[in-house]
Amino acid sequence: MLSTLLLLPFVGALVLWIVPEKLAAEKYRWVAMGVAIVSFGLTLLLGWQFDITQPGWQFVEEISWIDAIGLNYQLGVDGLSFPLLLLNGLLTIIAIVASDRHINRPKFYYILILLLNIGVVGAFVARDVLLFFLFYELEVVPLYFLIAIWGGKRRGYAATKFLIYTIFSGAFLLAAFLGLVWLSGISSFNYEDLRSHTLSLTPQLWLLGGLIIGFGIKIPFIPFHTWLPDAHVEASTPVSVLLAGVLLKLGTYGLLRFGFGLFLDAWVQIAPWLAIWAAISALYGAVCAIAQQDMKKVVAYSSIAHMAFILLALAANTRLSLIAAVMQMVSHGLISGLLFLLVGVVYKKTGSRDVTYLRGLLNPERGLPIIGSLMIMAVMASSGLPGLVGFPAEFLVFRGSFPVFPTATLFCMVGTGLTAVYFLLMVNKVFFGRLPDYLAQMPSVTWGDRLPSLAIAVLLLWFGLQPGWITRWVEADVTALMEKSLESNAIQNQPFDLAIDWAIDRAIDWAMVTSLSSELSSGVGAIAPSLDIE
Amino acid sequence: MSQKASQNWTLGKVTVRDRPTTFPLYNCTAKVRGGQCPPYVTFLSHLAIIISFPLIAIYMTDQTLSPSQHPLASAIHDLESGRALLPHSDRNLVEVVGILESYGYVLDAYAINLNYIADHQCLVFFPWFKYFNGEFSLQKLLRHWWHDRINYEYAEYCMKGMFWHGGGGLDAYLDTDEFRQRIEPLIQYKFKYNPVMLGLHKLFPEFLPELVRQMCLYSGLGQFWRIMSDMFLSLSDRYNQGEIKTIPDVVQHILAGLVAAASNPITYRPTVGNSTFEIIPESQGITFLMDTAVPYVEAIFFRGTPFPGTISYNAQAYQIPLHQSDFAYGALYADPLPIGGSGIPPTQLMQDMRHFLPDYLHEIYRTEGRSETDLRVKICESFQKSMFCVTTAALKGLAPFPMDTTNPEEQAQNRQYLEQWMNRFTTSRLQQVRAGV
Repeated sequence: MLSTLLLLPFVGALVLWIVPEKLAAEKYRWVAMGVAIVSFGLTLLLGWQFDITQPGWQFVEEISWIDAIGLNYQLGVDGLSFPLLLLNGLLTIIAIVASDRHINRPKFYYILILLLNIGVVGAFVARDVLLFFLFYELEVVPLYFLIAIWGGKRRGYAATKFLIYTIFSGAFLLAAFLGLVWLSGISSFNYEDLRSHTLSLTPQLWLLGGLIIGFGIKIPFIPFHTWLPDAHVEASTPVSVLLAGVLLKLGTYGLLRFGFGLFLDAWVQIAPWLAIWAAISALYGAVCAIAQQDMKKVVAYSSIAHMAFILLALAANTRLSLIAAVMQMVSHGLISGLLFLLVGVVYKKTGSRDVTYLRGLLNPERGLPIIGSLMIMAVMASSGLPGLVGFPAEFLVFRGSFPVFPTATLFCMVGTGLTAVYFLLMVNKVFFGRLPDYLAQMPSVTWGDRLPSLAIAVLLLWFGLQPGWITRWVEADVTALMEKSLESNAIQNQPFDLAIDWAIDRAIDWAMVTSLSSELSSGVGAIAPSLDIE
Repeated sequence: MSQKASQNWTLGKVTVRDRPTTFPLYNCTAKVRGGQCPPYVTFLSHLAIIISFPLIAIYMTDQTLSPSQHPLASAIHDLESGRALLPHSDRNLVEVVGILESYGYVLDAYAINLNYIADHQCLVFFPWFKYFNGEFSLQKLLRHWWHDRINYEYAEYCMKGMFWHGGGGLDAYLDTDEFRQRIEPLIQYKFKYNPVMLGLHKLFPEFLPELVRQMCLYSGLGQFWRIMSDMFLSLSDRYNQGEIKTIPDVVQHILAGLVAAASNPITYRPTVGNSTFEIIPESQGITFLMDTAVPYVEAIFFRGTPFPGTISYNAQAYQIPLHQSDFAYGALYADPLPIGGSGIPPTQLMQDMRHFLPDYLHEIYRTEGRSETDLRVKICESFQKSMFCVTTAALKGLAPFPMDTTNPEEQAQNRQYLEQWMNRFTTSRLQQVRAGV
């Protein structure tokens, strides 16, 4: 079944490659759309058959591939990857719907979209770390071309920058994976085999460091983030949707699956540093977002800030925070996807994303009232307003992380407060006030422009009211992860209340910045994994 | 050029009879008579006066008005030349006639409802079904809730605008003792079995009269719109018969209608139970033109109210004028673009007019801009054009002299009259409408 998810887009790409060049763009689009819909349908079927009470891999497939290097075609899906698989299926359809119907070189464009889909699906279902790496690298190629060919004025610069950063990301990952296999002394890249073999702390720290840098570039965390705003600004709307919605999640998924899963001891040691990094990233992203004039850059920096919450949740390493990490991935995927879609419509209709130029777009007759309303809904979701998906995701992150890293969590909460600041500034400037005369003759918005956004908006509301529809997939696997965590040497059975009291005392005694460093030195992070607030 | 023009403007402003008294040479002569100049200077001065007076007289009788220097001079010259504030074009003609036809149907509905409320809902504190014109049924109620209806709220908005801004004989009559005397029997009859209300009436003697005053405005506006509705529908008929070919024709039609109905009496005789009470008798001399039309134009076309919408007004920051007379939120000033939000009164009118658009105008709208999506903006733009035609007719009708007068003195007075009006138009949409924006 999982192989079908990989084969379908491949066959679709093959069909597109074989059919004549001179067909109308619409026909290529329908082929790609058909493949994406069938793939998503299959993913839903997987979900139907998925046993949410059972942790571990399901729908396992295994074919021996290159024995000499220990590479095997091993696929499987568990509660951590399945929600992301669904998200990818959905956003791929939406990206195709949102693509320009008369796009240049449609054949190549849709082939690349399908190849991108293969790369992402493959990375999410790979049980072999080398196979994961191959798929992880595979998605770079179509994405590079998608930015470089169909991007904005500075697309060459943005695509090259993305490529260079991602190559470095891949290099660090490959080095870490190879180092792990070499140091473990086993001849396979199988994830479970590697997981069952525990290295000593020092090599773990080195290897984990490599993974964190590799995935940190992809996510991205500061200071590895500079490729992202450029890539978003230059990428076309559908590519931005996929980039923010799914591709960045490869990084956080990788951190959870491989960083946390394979190097738990080292993870626990550096968790306080990761929490601080998350807080800095969240605040830095938010402050940068406030300063932007390009709507896409605002959303891009917002992504940087919100992805940092996932790092905080992973660092906290409680059952709740790990569930929250996956939920935040899905939540951010939907919200950022919607935001980029809406910015794309604004740009398509007005020819600008400049917040100092745009104004009054909520005008009911000649503005973009539905798009504006959806934008307000999206920024509310991003700000964590109750009733929308951002609220349960961020609430779980903070609720799960606060007992372990109260100060870092508080800083991240300030970051989410700043989300309201920069997004409301943007919405106020762009959508409120009188529509200027130079924007009064915008072309009409079609339902084709609105439907993708409406589909995501419905999901924002649905998951906001029923967050259990996301968390239920994850719970069993997170419980299993926590059992492993409890077995870790780093576990010390400190009572929960004692740790809370200690953290609060420290927060009161010290100024905020001093408190951060004291948190490090006193080793709160070391006792953190045992603090399961549930 | 500017200085000369200014002098000429002054010449036109002052009547010919007063003109010589300000002549500088005459003043100089007076000084000469005082003995401060040598005799030959006095002689030459007198000679100059004797020679110059006939020349001045010839100059002043033959002269025509020089161009106005007002910022809206082109509009003034158009009016003086028999044209309208809205320039003629085939497109403008189609828009104006078409929109006035739909406006005529809407006004017909508004007038019927206003008159019904005034006549049958007088002193009814909770007129739940006032928009049903006495024909209530479940089916109509469901249609009303489904919003398949006329927005009678807009008519009430206009009524309240007139009530608030006041002006004219009707408004003045409502504050007279006679009015108080005439409504007292009505109040006593209406609440003859309700001692609580009669007691409250004694405690708060202004409450019930104020409600009746409002009913008078319902009736006054209803009667005014009855005439206007017929006028606009007959305009459309004449256009369809080929009799209306230009914008000045439209203005002339409206002007003729206003003049014909000018002295129509405005009366009010509400029915309570089986009795009818004469609140505004014909003997009061309240008439259509001066007591409803002119206050309506002032209140709705010019002043209006700063309705809540996409623009927020801060009265504390003096964003709203201190005096009602300085208000400029009326139909001639309305920005068509921000309309469409819920609760914005002009939107309700545009919404109603879209139901009655003639096919030829609807087809034009469909092919432009966002087709049906921004229909209300396009209706509003056309409506504003038509209101400038109505305003043209009102200005011509109220002018001190006919616009085609050849008498320089009358021309000068007309010029002064028009320039005063144009001062009020400087912040209106007139320039955009004239420029076709």
